[in-house]
Parts: sequence; C-alpha cells; structure tokens
Amino acid sequence: MAHDTAVLVLGGGSTGCGIARDLAMRGVDVTLVERGNLTDGTTGRMHGLLHSGGRYAVSDQASATECIEENEILREIASHCVEETGGLFVQRPEDSDEYFREKLEGCRDCGIPATVLSGREARKVEPYLADDVSRAIQVPDGAVDPFRLCVANALDAERHGARVETHAEVIDLLRDGDDIYGVEIRHDSGPGKRTHKSPGTTEEITAEYVVNATGAWAGQIGAMADLDVAVRPSKGVMTIMNVRQVDTVINRCRPKGDADIIVPHETTAILGTTDEEVADPDDYPEEQWEVDMMIDTLAELVPIVEEARTIRSFWGVRPLYEPPGTGTQDPTDITRDFFLLDHDERDGVSGMSSIVGGKFTTYRAMAEEISDHVCAKLGVSATCTTAEDPLPGSENISVLEEGMDDFGLRSPIARRSNQRLGNRAADVLETDEPNPVVCECEGVTRAEVQDAIDQSGSDLNAVRIRTRASMGNCQGGFCCQNMATELHPRYDEETVREALDELFEERWKGERHALWGEQLSQAMLNYALHATTMNRDNDPANGSTQVDYAQFDGGA
Amino acid sequence: MSDAQRPIDDGVPSEQPSTGGAGGGDGDDDNDEFEPVQVFPEAEEMDLRPGADSCYKCSTCDTNCPVAEVDDEFPGPKFQGPEQWRLKRQDDHDIDESVMKCSNCMRCDSACPSSVPLSQMHNTARAEYVEENMSKLSREYLRNRMLANYRRLAPLASMFPRTANVVMGLSVTKWLGEKTLGITSEREFPEFATETFREWWTDRGGAKVENEDKRIAYFHGCYSNYNTPEVAKALVHVYEHFGYEVMVPEQSCSGTPMFANGMLEDARRAAETNVRELAAAIEDGADVIASCSSCSMSIRQEYPELFDFEDTETVAANTWDAVEYLRVHEDLTGALENTAVGDEFDDMAYHAPCHSRNQGLDGQTIEVMDAIDGIDAHDVGDSCSGISGTYGWKEENYETSMKIGEEMFEHMDEAEAETGLTECPTCSMQMEHGTGYEIKHTLEVLEAALGGDGAENGAGSGSDTDAGTTTATESI
Ligand SMILES: Cc1cc2nc3c(=O)[nH]c(=O)nc-3n(C[C@H](O)[C@H](O)[C@H](O)COP(=O)(O)OP(=O)(O)OC[C@H]3O[C@@H](n4cnc5c(N)ncnc54)[C@H](O)[C@@H]3O)c2cc1C
Ligand code: SF4
Ligand code: SF4
Repeated sequence: MAHDTAVLVLGGGSTGCGIARDLAMRGVDVTLVERGNLTDGTTGRMHGLLHSGGRYAVSDQASATECIEENEILREIASHCVEETGGLFVQRPEDSDEYFREKLEGCRDCGIPATVLSGREARKVEPYLADDVSRAIQVPDGAVDPFRLCVANALDAERHGARVETHAEVIDLLRDGDDIYGVEIRHDSGPGKRTHKSPGTTEEITAEYVVNATGAWAGQIGAMADLDVAVRPSKGVMTIMNVRQVDTVINRCRPKGDADIIVPHETTAILGTTDEEVADPDDYPEEQWEVDMMIDTLAELVPIVEEARTIRSFWGVRPLYEPPGTGTQDPTDITRDFFLLDHDERDGVSGMSSIVGGKFTTYRAMAEEISDHVCAKLGVSATCTTAEDPLPGSENISVLEEGMDDFGLRSPIARRSNQRLGNRAADVLETDEPNPVVCECEGVTRAEVQDAIDQSGSDLNAVRIRTRASMGNCQGGFCCQNMATELHPRYDEETVREALDELFEERWKGERHALWGEQLSQAMLNYALHATTMNRDNDPANGSTQVDYAQFDGGA
Repeated sequence: MSDAQRPIDDGVPSEQPSTGGAGGGDGDDDNDEFEPVQVFPEAEEMDLRPGADSCYKCSTCDTNCPVAEVDDEFPGPKFQGPEQWRLKRQDDHDIDESVMKCSNCMRCDSACPSSVPLSQMHNTARAEYVEENMSKLSREYLRNRMLANYRRLAPLASMFPRTANVVMGLSVTKWLGEKTLGITSEREFPEFATETFREWWTDRGGAKVENEDKRIAYFHGCYSNYNTPEVAKALVHVYEHFGYEVMVPEQSCSGTPMFANGMLEDARRAAETNVRELAAAIEDGADVIASCSSCSMSIRQEYPELFDFEDTETVAANTWDAVEYLRVHEDLTGALENTAVGDEFDDMAYHAPCHSRNQGLDGQTIEVMDAIDGIDAHDVGDSCSGISGTYGWKEENYETSMKIGEEMFEHMDEAEAETGLTECPTCSMQMEHGTGYEIKHTLEVLEAALGGDGAENGAGSGSDTDAGTTTATESI
C-alpha cells in the first residue's frame, strides 16, 4: 500500500522536531504534525537551562554524563540558541558540606568540569548573590532558547524535504487490526502556513511508521488506539523577572528540591521551579502561592529578586513516565530518563512507538536513538549526522563573531538581533527598506518580524517565539499592534485583527500572575493606551451588534 | 528606588578574578609590588539593569527631552536608559554612540513618573562608551577631555588672564579650536577675571564674620572662581549680612562637565577631594552651599548615584542651593521687604536652569525677586537653554543647542526686560549668546538689595579693591 509519508511524527516539541530533522537528514520522508504552534507543549514552557549535568551528578550519573555530552554538542551545532553562561551550585550556611562534596565528586566522575569558588569569588562572578553564600561549584551550565532551537530543527527538517504542519491536531489514530497506519488530523485553518479565518479541514495522513512524540499528551494519543501509555504529568511553575539579576545559572547546592534554580534567559531571568503531579496536562490549577513561594525561596540565594519586578509566570507539565509497577510516590523521584515504547513489542500493535520522559538538553540524543529504531524498522541504513551538522543560523558562527555587522541599527539592537539570528542575520537584516524597531523592549526590527511571518503565516504567537517580540517588560502593550500591522497587506484587516487579539490574549495569560507593583502599573497603562487609542476596551467593530451608521450625520 | 541605584562595591579590592583556574596565580600576586588597588568598581562594572524595573515605558521622558525634540537622530532617554540597560548582558559593552548626544540636562529624571534612575544610567553608559569605544587619541576624546577638565586649564589662563582673553577671542584661535578640536567658533570663550575669587578671599583675610552657630562652607565651583568672582563675592556678602561665618574649603571641580563627557574617572578623582573636604567642613558644623545650580545638583544627586566614598551621603544630605538655604533658614522675603535696587538693575528675564528645576527650585527666584521693589523678574518658561555645560561648545552640537535654545530666546525677547537672570553659568553664556543681553546671577541682585545701594557695591567691575568691597559689605 502506498503511504503519504514514510514516517509521521506526532508533536512539535523538542523531541518531535529533533526526530523529524534527524530522519529527514537521513533521507527519510517525514511529516510532522503539531496541534498548536511549534513548542506549544512543554518545550515552550520549560526553564531554559542547558544542563551541564551538575544537577544530576549525585542522583543520576547516567543522565549527568549524557547531559554534559549533549551540552557540548549543542554549544557547537546551535550556538545561536545557546548562551554559555556557566553555572554555580551555591551553598548557604545551612546546606550540608557532605552534599557539597558529593556534588563536586559526582561532577568529576561524570566528566563535568567543576571548580570550587569561595563565597567571595562567587560574588565576584555574580555581585547580587547573598552575602552569606559560603561556597560554590562552577560548572558549564548554559541557557538555551527552546523556541528558536525547536524552530531551527523544524526549519532544517523542511530544508531536507520534510513536511511540517502546525495547527494540525491529531483526532484519531488509523488502526487496522493490529497495525497503526496513520492518523486523522484537523487543520485549524486549511493545510500549510496558518492563515486565520481560512476554513478548517480534516485530513487523513497514512504512514509506514508513526512516532508518538506528544510528551505529556502521549497517553491521550495512545488511548485513540486503545493503548495504555501511563504518562504522569507533573507541573512546575516558572516566574520571569524583568531584567537579568544574574548572568550565570544559579543552582542551590542541596538535594533536588523546589525553587532552586535561576536561569538568565535572553533579557530576563527565570526563577523555577516546582514538581507536582496533575491529572490533566491541559487543565490544572495555577496558583499564586506557588509563585510567592518561589520568589521567597530563591531570594535566599539572590536577595534582590524579593523586590524585583516580575513580568509573568507560567506553568509547564513534565511528561514523566515510569514503567508499570515501579510505583514511585513523589514525582521528584521519578527518573528524568526517557522511554521508547515500541507498541509492537509491548502491546502487539505494530506501526507505532511512543516516546515519553526525557529532558530538553538531551533531545538530540533521544532523537538519534529513536531515529535509529525507526530506521531499523524501515530497513534504512543511513547514519545520524545531527551531532556534527550545525542548525540553520549556526552554520558559520565564526564569521559572525569576527565582524558583527550593525546593519545600520543602534548597537544594542544590532547585537541582540545578531545573537538571535546567528548567521542568518545578513539574510534577514540586510534590506533597502526602512527597518524600524517594532518591539522596543527586546530590540526587534521590522525585517526580523517579516522574516518570521514568511516562515509562519498570520500567527503572531509564532512570530513571537521566533523573534521575542512582545516578550519584554510591556508584555505587548506597546508592540502587539505594531506586529499586527506588519501582517498587512499580506493579510486582510479581519485576519490582522484576529491575530492581534490572539497574541494579546496570550500575553495577558501569563501577565495575570504578576499583577502587583510595577507590572500592575504596566498593565494599567497598557489598558489605558489600548482603550483610549484603539477602542480595545469596547470596540463596536468587535461586537455582535451592527453599528448603525445611519445614526451618523453626513459630517456637513 | 531600586537597589540598582546603589553602586556595587565588590569588597574584594585586590583579589584577582579566579577564572584562569585554581590557586596557582595567588602566590605571584604577593610579589607584585605595584598591584593597583581598585577600591571602587569601574564604571562599566556598575550594573544598572535592575533600575529598568521601574520603567513602564510611558515615554514621558522622551517627550520632555530637549535634544530629542530637535534632533531626530537622537533616540531619547527611554532608549538611552532603561531599554539599553535591559538589553545588556554582563559582558556587553557596546553602548550606542547616541549617548554622546545627550546633554545631561537631566530633565528626563524629573519628568519620569516612576523614578527610573535615568541620568545615572546615561552617565554610566557614557563612561562605558568612552572607555570602550572612543579612541583615546581621537580628536573628539581630547576635546571632550579638555572641555571636561576646563578647571585644569583655567588656572593657567587666569595667571595671565588678559593674554588669555585676547588669545581666546582671536578668530585664529577659534578657527583652530573648531578645526583641530571641534570646539565651535560660533561662541565667545568666557572671559577670565583678573583676580580669582580665591585670590580675593585670601587678600581679604577670609571671613569677616565669626559665628559658631551659623556656618556655611561655600562650594564656589570653577566658574565663579575663575570667570565670575562677582557672583562668589555676592554670596559672601549676602551670607555675612545674615550673620553667617563663611568657610571656603579646598575643592575641585564638581564633576558636572566630566559626567557629561563620560570622563567618570576624572569625575571620581574630583569628587573624592570634594567629599573629603566638605565632610570635614560639615564636621566643623557647616552646611555646604553652592551658588551654581549644576554644582549643587552634582553633589546632591550624582555623587550618591555614582560613587560611594565614605561620607558621600552625608555631604549630599547637607548640601544646599544658596537661595534655597536662605529661604529655609532665614526670613529672606522679610529681609527683602522695602528694599530696592538702584538703576543698575532693570527688569529681568529669568530662566530657571534645568538643574534647578531638577532640584525643585525653579520657582524660588521669581518669588524672591517679587519682594524687592523696583525690579520685576519675568519667568521665560520651562524650556531648556540648550547649552548644557560643555555640550553646546562642541561643533557638532552647536546647531542642536541653538535650536533647543530658540524657545528661550524668543521668550526672553518677548519679556519686558533687557537683562537676563539665571543661576547657571553656562545657561548664562547661552542667554547672552542668543540675545546679547547682560546676564546676572540672583545672588548679585540680592547683594545689591540687601546692601541698600547696589551701585556702591560694584562687585562686578572686577578691578575694585578688596577694601572697597569689604567696606560696602560691612555697611549692610
Ligand atoms: C517546569 C519544567 C521545567 C523544565 N526545565 C527544563 C530545563 O531547564 N532543561 C531541560 O533540559 N529540560 C527541562 N524540562 C524538560 C523539558 O522541557 C521536556 O522534557 C521537553 O521539553 C519535552 O519535549 P517533548 O517534545 O517531549 O514534549 P512537548 O514539548 O510537550 O511536545 C509535545 C507536543 O505534542 C503536541 N500535541 C499534544 N497533543 C497533540 C495532538 N492531539 N495532536 C498533535 N499534537 C499534539 C503538543 O502541543 C506539544 O507541542 C522542564 C520541564 C518542565 C515541565
Ligand atoms: S539628560 Fe536631557 S538630553 Fe539627556 S536624555 Fe535626559 S532629557 Fe535628554
Ligand atoms: S518616563 Fe520613566 S517610566 Fe516613562 S518611559 Fe521614561 S523612564 Fe520609563
């Protein structure tokens, strides 16, 4: 039977995108479907830490070793998505010396470069560290932008012939007896790039092999074919600070616990996180006390965060999994390793494997292992090259570092744009058109926004994750409408309006959890501006009642 | 106010960064005899990113910036300050060159509804720009350093003031200034007085009033020492009239021109001397008084924002503007009631300097003048004069500077007065340059009023002997 595609990958997170790229580079015909934007699941809601492995150096040395290996690879192949910040495991007076020693030894056992710093030396690296931090272990942790890394994987997959469909939700698995041969998907707005308002369709895609990489949703997909995939989703909260109080990843040096890491992320710093099992990955409580607890606890390491401005908080769900019968009670104890469930071996149903668990940092190694498995099934013998071949944007970073062009932009804006785009910068930013700044907080110009629209259609959240536009301190108050304007004239007024609403709503979602102090002022100012200049508090054009134009006089 | 406004003292003066790997280096360090001890962080180490937390992007600062108003190329204080700082990573030092276009008038500071430390951000960024980006041999750097350190040149000039005045005025000198240094030839160099204030003070034998309970330490700054000693003398006379013992401590430049040119190291040295000397005077029971609005601004706001010498805060908290102090501690309007000034003073067009405005002192002069008979002072509005210290002296800024000043010139022209009045020496140059009016300092008017006979005081004529002036003073 002829199939639409050789391999169908479900889920556009780091795992799915990584697999799609890996297979496409091996010459396999791949299609990836994702129900929302790329990274809409856990990948877009994680902490942004490129683990050195230090975190697992005591509890799980196999993971730790894998982390340091992958950490080194990603710094090479995805240098424009990774910031080599370095990390510190800091010890407070009440934290155990014994554990500090175990951590140091663990790092050394796993090949993680580790240096001990005195409290004073640590404060020299990070001036805002608490005065009573007594010692620290310096490790090569890094910061990673999951959005751009994931998008770069998808982009490269497409360059190698893959089809990537976003806003395409799997609504059924196609099963014939004991064989799964494809899926039925619902396109939110017709296949291809998203255009709001274009009518949705459904489509059946058949495939030789299906890879279920839907993370915390893998159980829901499995259920469509009566397969039991016992994912235990566990939520964690993260709070985004307005500025970077630290430029190094700060970890608390004690056995894994809640609220023990601060990651500098682009222009911000992210506090995290917690670990609490939830029943439904799409519907769980987001509570203020979680945010408060995190700020209070992390203020023990970096006191300035207590009073500092937060711009939003968000929650993510880990796709934790453990083999049936393990029976771990506390989700923190569940392994962070990943599992490849071959449903043929496990359930006697051929044509599909599910992937659950794992970490972002090791997505590439996971993808390699899974792709090997799939290739064996398909009888393809090509080898994996993802550890050597850089991602789009990082192909030629040395050139970029030698002579960073400013493309006529003010220097901090040129710097940030170059850092985001890597060696695509020249392609994107060299333009004869005027290139004004669209998002002032993050320094994003029109050319970069246009480039993102080229990639993703009328979806402004997709533009956001590619560029960071609207992710700064005004949370879109000053730039959402500028971004929307960039959709015109490619898209009509109605589409632009809807895209704007969708983006602004998404921004508001996270900002709700930061409504005190300065961010409250910001929200009020945003409201006043949008209400008074764009009628957005009560725009008759958005209402159901028709405007009675006859009531207006002729203006005479 | 956020913690960002506190400069960071890392407290590890002589320690080497340990990045280069373990302890090995430490041993060598002990042998290094001339390891410079870095007690305070370099400008570029000052992390003001947290200061961006207070900014909610309302753009009020931009709409109040006089440079942004006339220069489309200038991105404005919001970009210059909170936005630029927020985009920084610890190791990023590529400050945008537009920071050199900011005149440091500090209007953005007072306009911001949310206490963003804008001028602190500009000052620090400017220093970083100069440190990292401006070639130390460039003509711009030399020119800026020269303008910023005007005080160092001034003593030379005042040793031979007449020659200096002639030479500075020569068109050849001006042409050379513009061509080789980028100092505009449009302006007249300020004249140097034949006798500096400090010379006069020494000749006079110092204070004429002794009073343990009422003491002030006079911070005269550079300009009233070298160029307008009549202002400094007026201050002495007025304060002695109210029974104050005037002390004139050792002092250096306030630092204002150095901040504005990004010469933060020069400013640091000057500030260190000032803080030390003024703190000693405060210890002796004095309050610090400045006659120049930029000097008082600098000591009160910029010092605590940028430095943390011992006593910086104390000195800042005990520093006053000369007129402000009298209004608080004396019945100044009472004393001025029924006083009059002679024909020497006409009605006046008053411009409140930006740096007075920032201290909340923009209304006081008009009120004080109202109390004096025979003189009307007209406020010419709240626009900026446009010169902002050394800013308007630079060839590339001259036009911008005059454009900013236009509104003030027009208002001066419309006001029914032929003399100008202000408390800032460079505003005074700009006012004179734009209108041709003679410009007075408020203290000169007070001196005339309180002396009962302005003409007799004649402080302005320069060649008067001490004896003459002092006698006049003692008669008030
Ligand atoms: C709070 C938190 C912090 C974390 N921090 C870190 C960290 O700092 N470093 C690190 O390395 N790892 C971290 N992780 C782990 C890491 O984020 C995840 O392991 C990784 O992102 C999982 O990626 P994934 O592709 O497997 O899953 P996902 O990103 O969830 O991808 C699954 C995709 O499937 C899609 N999908 C679901 N249902 C359907 C359907 N019916 N049809 C089509 N598509 C569907 C979803 O929309 C989603 O995009 C963190 C996790 C959490 C929860
Ligand atoms: S100090 Fe003056 S010139 Fe500089 S940015 Fe602020 S308002 Fe503008
Ligand atoms: S006035 Fe203050 S709060 Fe408003 S934009 Fe300027 S710095 Fe930000």
